[in-house]
Amino acid sequence: METKNNWRAWLYLAPMLFLMAVFTFYPLFNAFVISVYRDYLPLANEGAGTISGYTLSNYSVIFNNQLFWQAVLNTFVLAFVSVPVSIIISLFISVGLKSIPKLKGFFQSIFFLPYVTNSIAVGMAFAVMFHRNHGLFNAILSWFGISAIDWIGGTATWWAQMGALMIFTIWESLAFKILVFTSGLQNIDKQYYDAARIDAASKWTIFKRITVPLLSPLIMYISITSLIGALKAYNSVIGLFGERLGGQPYSMITIVAFVYKYRSDFAFQGYYSYAAAGAIILFFITLLFSAMQTMVAKRRVHY
Amino acid sequence: MEIKMVNLTKIFTAKDKKEVHAVDHVDLTIPSGKLIGLLGPSGCGKSTTLYLIAGLLRQNEGHIYFEDDEVSEMPPEKRGIGLVFQNYALYPHMTVRENILFPLQNLKVEKDEAKARTLEMAELVGLQEMLDRKPKELSGGQQQRVAIARALVKRPRVLLLDEPLSNLDARLRLQTREEIKRIQRETGITTVFVTHDQEEAMSISDEIVVMKDGVIQQMGAPQAVYDKPNNLFVAKFLGNPQINVFDGEIRNKKVYVNNMAIASTKLADQKVKVGIRPEGFTVDNDKTSDFKFEINLVETIGRDTTLIIDIPGEEGGLLDKHSFKVIVDASHKIDSGQTVHFNVRPEKLHLFDLNGELLK
Amino acid sequence: MAEVFVKNEKVYKTQKFISNLLIFIFLGFVALVVLVPFYWMLLTSLKNTTMIEQVPPIFFLKPADWEIENYRSLFYLVPSGPRRGEPLFPFFTYMRNTIVVSIVSTVGTVLTTVLAAFAFARLNFKGRDVLFAILIATMMIPGEIFILTNFLTINKLGWYDIMNQTFMDVLLAMTLPFMTSVFYVFYLRQTFKQIPNELYYAAKVDGTTDFQYLLKIMIPIALPTIITITILNSMGAWNAYIWPAMITTKDEFRLVSNGLRGAFTDSGTGRTDFGQQMASAVLVTLPLLLMFFVFRKQIMRGVSRSGIKG
Repeated sequence: METKNNWRAWLYLAPMLFLMAVFTFYPLFNAFVISVYRDYLPLANEGAGTISGYTLSNYSVIFNNQLFWQAVLNTFVLAFVSVPVSIIISLFISVGLKSIPKLKGFFQSIFFLPYVTNSIAVGMAFAVMFHRNHGLFNAILSWFGISAIDWIGGTATWWAQMGALMIFTIWESLAFKILVFTSGLQNIDKQYYDAARIDAASKWTIFKRITVPLLSPLIMYISITSLIGALKAYNSVIGLFGERLGGQPYSMITIVAFVYKYRSDFAFQGYYSYAAAGAIILFFITLLFSAMQTMVAKRRVHY
Repeated sequence: MEIKMVNLTKIFTAKDKKEVHAVDHVDLTIPSGKLIGLLGPSGCGKSTTLYLIAGLLRQNEGHIYFEDDEVSEMPPEKRGIGLVFQNYALYPHMTVRENILFPLQNLKVEKDEAKARTLEMAELVGLQEMLDRKPKELSGGQQQRVAIARALVKRPRVLLLDEPLSNLDARLRLQTREEIKRIQRETGITTVFVTHDQEEAMSISDEIVVMKDGVIQQMGAPQAVYDKPNNLFVAKFLGNPQINVFDGEIRNKKVYVNNMAIASTKLADQKVKVGIRPEGFTVDNDKTSDFKFEINLVETIGRDTTLIIDIPGEEGGLLDKHSFKVIVDASHKIDSGQTVHFNVRPEKLHLFDLNGELLK
Repeated sequence: MAEVFVKNEKVYKTQKFISNLLIFIFLGFVALVVLVPFYWMLLTSLKNTTMIEQVPPIFFLKPADWEIENYRSLFYLVPSGPRRGEPLFPFFTYMRNTIVVSIVSTVGTVLTTVLAAFAFARLNFKGRDVLFAILIATMMIPGEIFILTNFLTINKLGWYDIMNQTFMDVLLAMTLPFMTSVFYVFYLRQTFKQIPNELYYAAKVDGTTDFQYLLKIMIPIALPTIITITILNSMGAWNAYIWPAMITTKDEFRLVSNGLRGAFTDSGTGRTDFGQQMASAVLVTLPLLLMFFVFRKQIMRGVSRSGIKG
């Protein structure tokens, strides 16, 4: 009975594997190919595409492109600041939720709202709130005597724009982390907390020496997957800044936005290959973090 | 440290809003320096009592004193107790050393002293070699000892153990039993432990407390409680094989079971429940005794012979069961099918009224 | 002696009260921060231009002052320009497109997912674990890498015909590449695996085929998970932005997210009508929130699963 299933199993898998072959595996392979085409014009001759050979120079072209480095810088700053900050905040919130069991469900639902909203719609609301003249943020700052800042407009500094993007990104990403950490906390055996109380541990000690270590596999996992997610930032930039991708054109460009910018210029010779090369670089960056996550996952078996 | 509970009550409210009195107006004094076993079937309130003493649960009514200090409203960390959990609750990410050190760090004990005390405790429980291991790398018995060391290292006033042996296999259980007894003797700390296993409680406790439905049934030295059970529940709960209980009657100062006179008494005429320990029977070789049965099965193990006697239906007046056990000396040559006359040892015979209370 | 402890008890109770109060204030503050953008969106959508530009901003608005015109004007027809004759924000068209795309892609996804999860959970075949590991690995690959080629594939299949693209073309292009989800397969496989083997063998003894077993036993048992998958997947179309924008040649084929940006900036003056913009944002946000309030449990359960999967 065990081996007879063989060909039937593939029948059940066929729809998924067929679609994935066409829309996942082939494109993955093809992206590498496109990235080494010379003078590629993808839609010439009714979609057949023309090339004049193969080259690695597409990579050197984007490495020499200042916009690419701007994208790398923006993406990395965004990811490496917003992820730790949102993880720390959501950890505190989850632990706080634990100590008010009666209102937990109510608060949890509110905290989850950003997850179920369209990030472009909310991004636009943030843009209104960040408006230099009549935005909410500057109104609040003025209560403390701080003069108006241009957050996202044409005269905004890079720091102000990054700050605004960061605030929006963290606001958006808390929902998922709070939910996951809250259910992670629920899975910790209550006896450890009883034991810690008997052992006269203070709330802070319990957080630092019991909760965080016991949750650390989950924290690591969420850190790395969030980091990978944050490296793909795009919709939030569109939501906040529009197609201009910044207060000044492209000032808040991300790696993904860089890829799309060159993709949309497919009518120019070779541009599609630049987009592919950019995507491949992003692929290798995420691969690096995935490898890290696998290593961490292996190490955590030890306790 | 004497522990005194006065009118202690804990009520749990179930999902269907029904109130359960897990601990019901308990008055109990636990003498200082003794090892006390809280004993009872599951759900009798023994663990709840332990958690009330620990402060992990809060009583609805009543008071708890450690000597003259009232601790009723004190949080657990202020009570000065050590608690060993049923699953030990060792912190899985900390080594044995870190586990034992943890309470001292919280109590801000000076570093050198904390180190010394950790070593001292490790020595007491015999785990000097294991200090740098993680709990996962230890056997169940070793984990148990770490838990005891962690509980004792802060020099608590009282040591509480929740089903300390239930997670160990049979061989380790015996060994750990002795170990707990030894540690208690050496430290002289007032120790309360909870168990559902009467043999375990009887073997190591200085005194046992038998509980049922949140109410204390009896307290005393194990043998004293066994010999003089206050009621039918205690009589049945202690002893293996269980006490045999018959429906009986007192007529003219004589106790009858199934119209067989088995003993004399000073009590007035009435219907009674007659409890006779399996070892309370002696074989009457003269065959003059009225109390006789046909033997169904004979099991001889070592010094003892167990006779199993079937009584179908109501005939023998046996309660809840169709057969009962008699333990006699193996020197008697008895075969199944044979009818044997018995005498009953008066000190092994207990008479209860129909509510199960001991008749005096 | 006893007195000392009575004092202690009071201190303890006060401490506990204060710490709970602080936690409550902290969580309340966070809740406020989470809610404010929604409130601001709604508030701005009900302000006229003068109110919007008022400094300091107006924080509360009486119902009498609500500017419903922002919503109404979204449906006015554009008088000139390339989008002449269409509503300013063709919400109902976008909404219809989004719902159709959402339904088709969800039905497809659930179908491929159920079949694949069954094979991985229940059937034995050579290379099962290796294949599963490969599929899991694809979850980490950034989707941008696929989009480049998928766009060309769609074009080759004739679904991106600039001259006469039909809604059917768009529908296929929007849904087919997203009809598989490794995560849902993973999720459903876990649920399937919890169904005891004995049930399968019992059904086999009774002469049930694999497919009947899947249909009659496994799917009913795993229905809560399948419902969660359905809800989560159908919400995806509401957030899709880049792909629908890429493969549609006409405005009328787009999805709600695409309509949001850019439409409200006057090309002459460069000024943005924030009231109209926020009104459209409210219209797009509302259905999702409604969905959340109805299916809160299923959504939160499904999403929290995706965090624990590691």
